[in-house]
Amino acid sequence: MRSAEIIPSATKTLTIALLGNPNCGKSTVFNQLTGLRQKIGNFPGVTVDKKLGQVNLTNGKVVTLIDLPGTYNLYPTSQDERVVLNILANPADEYYPDAILYIADVTQLEKHFLLFSQVRDLGIPMVLALNMSDAAAEQNIHYDTGAIAKAFNVPTVAISGRSGDNFQQLKTALNQLVTESFTAPKSFYQFSDTEKEISQTIQKKYQLDNPFQALLWAQNSTRLTFLSEAKRGEISQLISDKNFNRLANQVREVMQRFDRFTPMLKKAIQRTETNKISHTEKIDNVVTHRFWGPLIFFALMLVVFQAIYAWSSFPMDMIEAGFASLTEAVNSVMPDAWYTSLLTDGIIAGLGGILIFIPQIAILFLLISILEEVGYMARAVFMFDHLMQRFGMNGRSIVALVSSGACAIPAVMSTRTISNWKERLITILVAPFISCSARIPVYTVLIGFVVPSATIWGVFNQQGLAFMGLYLVSIIAALGSAWVFKKILKTEERSFLLLELPEYRPPVFKNILFTVYEKVKTFVIEAGKVIFVISIILWVLASYGPSNKMELAEKEATTLATQNNLNEAETADLIAGKQIEASYAGHLGKFIEPAIRPLGYDWKIGIALITSFAAREVFIGTMATIYSIGSADDDTGTIRDRMAKEVNPITGKPTYNFATSLSLLVFYIFAMMCMSTLAVVKRETGGWKWPIIQFLFMTGLAYLGAFVVYQIFS
Amino acid sequence: MTALNSLAPGKSAIIHSFSDEATACKMMSMGILPGSKVKLIRKAPFGGAIYIKADNQQFAIRNNEAECVVLK
Repeated sequence: MRSAEIIPSATKTLTIALLGNPNCGKSTVFNQLTGLRQKIGNFPGVTVDKKLGQVNLTNGKVVTLIDLPGTYNLYPTSQDERVVLNILANPADEYYPDAILYIADVTQLEKHFLLFSQVRDLGIPMVLALNMSDAAAEQNIHYDTGAIAKAFNVPTVAISGRSGDNFQQLKTALNQLVTESFTAPKSFYQFSDTEKEISQTIQKKYQLDNPFQALLWAQNSTRLTFLSEAKRGEISQLISDKNFNRLANQVREVMQRFDRFTPMLKKAIQRTETNKISHTEKIDNVVTHRFWGPLIFFALMLVVFQAIYAWSSFPMDMIEAGFASLTEAVNSVMPDAWYTSLLTDGIIAGLGGILIFIPQIAILFLLISILEEVGYMARAVFMFDHLMQRFGMNGRSIVALVSSGACAIPAVMSTRTISNWKERLITILVAPFISCSARIPVYTVLIGFVVPSATIWGVFNQQGLAFMGLYLVSIIAALGSAWVFKKILKTEERSFLLLELPEYRPPVFKNILFTVYEKVKTFVIEAGKVIFVISIILWVLASYGPSNKMELAEKEATTLATQNNLNEAETADLIAGKQIEASYAGHLGKFIEPAIRPLGYDWKIGIALITSFAAREVFIGTMATIYSIGSADDDTGTIRDRMAKEVNPITGKPTYNFATSLSLLVFYIFAMMCMSTLAVVKRETGGWKWPIIQFLFMTGLAYLGAFVVYQIFS
Repeated sequence: MTALNSLAPGKSAIIHSFSDEATACKMMSMGILPGSKVKLIRKAPFGGAIYIKADNQQFAIRNNEAECVVLK
């Protein structure tokens, strides 16, 4: 039994777990208690948010608070819920709590008491916080905190996470809980004879202190990841020996708990029933309306898209300009040597490539968390569930797909709220197909080679229509591959939609700001590492060549420049062009030429394909370097003119003919040419397996598409 | 015996039982119990799911799950 003896050790802080149903206001309480002293990560083996924070209790005692995912019971149907079970059923778990802070919405107390009564039976010291005391006052709900505490034998405090009311009392209660000795109250649930037998056998066999914990092992053995295969087998054997019907017993248990605590709660709560239509219902009459509902949703999505697409461009330009002037400053004070190049073209460029995504991530999460906080997102799931189910996705996936139109990175990060793993994975896998803003420069340069700039019927610009076509193809690719993944991917998780549509509430801005801060921080630290390493590798590939070929290339270029009387900028461009040809990237470009010739590409395009793995828009910069017009920088017009002049030495015809250009366009619609997206997918799926699969199928589809197009039109 | 999915929008009924144990466990854990009064508010714009109100709380539930809710 846990008691005061274990507390004095100063080395280990005590762990208090925050538990409750979804929508009980848990994260607001977490933020109130911990402030910015939080650490966000993943639970081991799964990509479920793990939030840890430090709380100063009274008299300077510091405890660790862990925010466990919201759940309705201890019989999980999703990954998030399984995390809760695996911690609470395993006394040896790193996060097994010394005490529990249970948050219940006092305006819906009956519903919030099922999990409460289950957790109470685990024999862990617990404080019950009746949250939303302010809302209860507004709704004329009167409750007797003392009576509830007495009836359930649990210290109880009424709080408001929103206003911070009574948090001092809550801290005092927690402090008492962890300093005073604790005797577990009698089990609330009355076991049946079979349950008693099974639970006693398990308790004895595996030395478990608590009978309800043992019952959880029996009920959930297949979902307990900490149990060895052998133990799971033994438990399953026991279950079948005793003829124990798991589901039927779960239902019976839930029923019995409700039957017992509902009358107890009725005595402690007075509610004046009103037949008044709540404001939530009034809002939903419009917001989930057959016609207006989807319309409002798409209007909101338009705002989201516009925000990430347009509003972020100003801060992004600032970041870009900042890094450009930093590079310039470094170049002017440091000698012209390899380490300067490493610093500017490798490290600074790599950092810039990470930080450039911050505005888009921050803006998207600002908007998404407002929509989540007020309760709107659940309505979107309700409205689009059927539509998205056909593609194996979820109503929340639409937000990710729309965001992908600006940038796949925040989009992939936003899928975390999709609780069904398969639906989430499919959304992550297909979102990068949607044409993002980085593809636009590539499309702009190439589209001129495919479609003339004329108007149809005097209204529609042909190139504009072609642009729209490219977007359309990308959407079809996303939905089509989602459909395929739906058929291929197997899951044991049964797909449910049983979603609470919470009351509309004004957002808590502290929560929103924390979410934005947290998302940006995770991206910079976690995905940033991968992006940084790949940037350095790409820098090495483009700046170094085998043996002394780079110096030879420079010499050759300088001689050529003097012969042709080139000015300084032209000379530098020429050198850069010759050098990239001599570099490892250049060699790689030539090496892959046989493989890309069926697509209509030469080795120069091959180099650009390799370097633009960093990000699609790098294609333009590389083209400029290869054609020795690097100083023209981002001017797409100059680059297009130069590309138009490029002649295939074998055929004597223009390299960028209709077939090659169309094939390149097709390639860039489909190909996974973005290391940052892959880095984020790695973080969000918890390993390299899925980003590698994604890279292979997207690039495979790109190759196939480009091949078919080139073969038809050449 | 009718199931929840066949209730007309705007109509209420009392839940009798659940015909599937997994659904029962999940719905009961959310406070939707036999004996609860349930009202079908509306159907989803693209079908497939319904918006219900049970004991002063709103829920979205797929037709598949609603089929398992037997009404009195």
